[in-house]
Amino acid sequence: MTMDPTSLKKRLLQGSRLVHPDFHGADPAARALAEVHSARLNRAYETLADDARRADALVLLLGGPSETVAREMPREFLVEVLEWNEALEEARTSKAWSPAVAQLQNELRTRRADELAAVHTLLSNPLDSSPTQLAQARARLNAVRYLDRALNDIETLRLACGT
Amino acid sequence: MGYIELNVLNQPVVPKQTGALGIDLGTTHSLAAIWKDGRPQVLRVEGESALVPSVVHFPREGAPIVGRAAREQAVVAPKDTLFSIKRFMGRGLKDVQQELALLPYAASETERGLIQLEVHGKKYTPEQLSALVLKKVHETASRALGETAPTSVVITVPAYFDDTQRQATRDAARLAGLEVLRIVNEPTAASLAYGLDQRDKGNVVVYDLGGGTFDVTALTIEEGVFRVLSTAGDTHLGGDDFDAALMDLAKREIAAQHGVEVLADAGFQQALRLACERCKIELSSAPRAEIHLMLPERRIAWRRELDRAEFETLTKSLVDRTLAACAQALSDAKLTTSAIDEVVLVGGSSRIPAVRARVEQYFGRKPHTELNPDEVVALGAAVQAHILVGGKRDVLLLDVTPLSLGIETMGGAVSKIIQRNSTVPCSATEGFTTYADNQTAIDFHIVQGERELATDCRSLGRFKLRGIPPMPAGMARVGVRFHIDADGVLTVSAKEETSGATASIDVQPMHGLTDAEVEGMLASSFEHAKDDFEARRAADLVIEIGTMVQAVEKNMNAARAGLDKESLLDLEDALAKAKQATQGRDAKALQKARDEFERTSLPLAALLMNNVAQKALMGRSLGEV
Repeated sequence: MTMDPTSLKKRLLQGSRLVHPDFHGADPAARALAEVHSARLNRAYETLADDARRADALVLLLGGPSETVAREMPREFLVEVLEWNEALEEARTSKAWSPAVAQLQNELRTRRADELAAVHTLLSNPLDSSPTQLAQARARLNAVRYLDRALNDIETLRLACGT
Repeated sequence: MGYIELNVLNQPVVPKQTGALGIDLGTTHSLAAIWKDGRPQVLRVEGESALVPSVVHFPREGAPIVGRAAREQAVVAPKDTLFSIKRFMGRGLKDVQQELALLPYAASETERGLIQLEVHGKKYTPEQLSALVLKKVHETASRALGETAPTSVVITVPAYFDDTQRQATRDAARLAGLEVLRIVNEPTAASLAYGLDQRDKGNVVVYDLGGGTFDVTALTIEEGVFRVLSTAGDTHLGGDDFDAALMDLAKREIAAQHGVEVLADAGFQQALRLACERCKIELSSAPRAEIHLMLPERRIAWRRELDRAEFETLTKSLVDRTLAACAQALSDAKLTTSAIDEVVLVGGSSRIPAVRARVEQYFGRKPHTELNPDEVVALGAAVQAHILVGGKRDVLLLDVTPLSLGIETMGGAVSKIIQRNSTVPCSATEGFTTYADNQTAIDFHIVQGERELATDCRSLGRFKLRGIPPMPAGMARVGVRFHIDADGVLTVSAKEETSGATASIDVQPMHGLTDAEVEGMLASSFEHAKDDFEARRAADLVIEIGTMVQAVEKNMNAARAGLDKESLLDLEDALAKAKQATQGRDAKALQKARDEFERTSLPLAALLMNNVAQKALMGRSLGEV
């Protein structure tokens, strides 16, 4: 679960220098191969660089449930979701940036970090993760997905308001 | 003794060109650059501007005129002179209503939604018109180089161009007989030109306000890798819109004086457009300027002075829109203004003082303006061209796709398959299944854009997947692979997984030219290409022989004094023959005359060289040399 972003970036740059189509343009077959490998490298980087996507990939790799199969979120989370949805709806209809929205944004960001930290703990010994732990990790990742969508909505609102 | 004369007599041996051109195909003007002597250089013909106006004029008879001469026809023959062609690339009629309202063209649409502009009853696609501009740029590059310029090219497009606009650009190049090595995004190209010597880590924002489009790109430079993090922009926002703001003001005031009838006149519109553009440009160097419109045949002599403050008020909302796009790009890159190390201004319209001031205020740092904003994109394209022909391996560009790619779902919503700002090349595979028993085909509608509904996004094409083996509903497993290549161009392939059958895909592009159409257009242009080529070669030879004749005539005294009798007679004879030859227009005969003349003038060249050397050494002891 832990990943050093600097060394990950370094790996991307090194890999790109090896497989990018720019350096394999002369031969059509080599170029086609470079396209495939470059696309794989870029996808791998994008998955690993994002903490939530990295955790999602790890759960799947360990044989845990996918988000389409296990859709539930942690129980205690659901009560909060109802409150947040109300606040979000209010912000969306008012179409104005307010201190309340800024506060909501902070709250959601903190919660996202907490949920990911919990996932981190659950998967601290990845190879020994039990099915229960994997299911719990999935539930928390579903919560992260919700939070990301909500945060995205808030960001869209912020940009629309020009703040 | 002039150096040039010697040079003419001793034709320098120019090494064979194996490079590639970088071409900036712009809304208002285009230009080419090439990597030479270890750096990118703009190709310009001595004594001319490097910028070729992206304007095509169709005279009533004869070949189309492109560039500066075409632009001069704008006021005289507005309906036969096509501007801003780039705004129509890859577009349908309904996409360009805003543009057509400002331009005096007759436009129509083919049954596949391709826009066509009409002149003298003939219809031209934007691809054909852009091909004429590209040919002119290539020809100018050849003249600047003194030999045929490479036909392998890198062409730049606004980062915010969608797939159909990129395809249209490729098609235009094919029609011009050019091989496209890569389509590169303009701001990214600019960053290459700027950051070439800069190997340090850093986050850079490129703000590119061109003639017709606005782009902003955030990228990070690290160990020679230029990695684009995000791009945002507006393909309907550029210098033309600043002109239009002035035009609106002028039209209101002129209508009050002269009535509204004059406003509809095409000649008036073009004249006003040029007058407003001039005023805008003047305001970039002077605190006040005037819009000055003289149309004696319409009894209009109109002047209107305005200062920068008034111009800024008129155009404030335009600058606001560019800054909103900057905020979007930063947000997508997960950066704040304080994390930006450099801001680079590109595009002619970035010269507007108010634009510079507000960009500086927004980012809290002085933007870079060292390079000519009209040339920096072409320079960057030349760098990328040099990389692609294998000339440079220490620099690498990682660009992104500007718009999300998705599939229309049941009910008209969009299911996103590739997110915007994904690094290219990128692929994604999506699984599909059948909804009816024994269904053997599935229809797809591919769209590009950020909106929720498919109708609000750009339609890239409808795909029909055939050849699925008959089986119960929901049993088929069809994997459809979407791949965006390093040019940002999409390809789709599909496979039915339970049977292992590769399903075939029919692509019906909504826009753009089909391969058959491109072939057809190419074939018709080839019919004339050979004649065109011979004529151009003959014209070049006449000029070349003319220069040689001049040089020899200037030095006849020296020849009489220094050459042996036989050589002198030969030379006089060849001179007469060369003069005679320039009366003809047959390329083969001209080539022969040129070669013969060169051979016979060699003794004179040797003599002149000798004279120069003696003169240089005169009065010096050997030890001094």
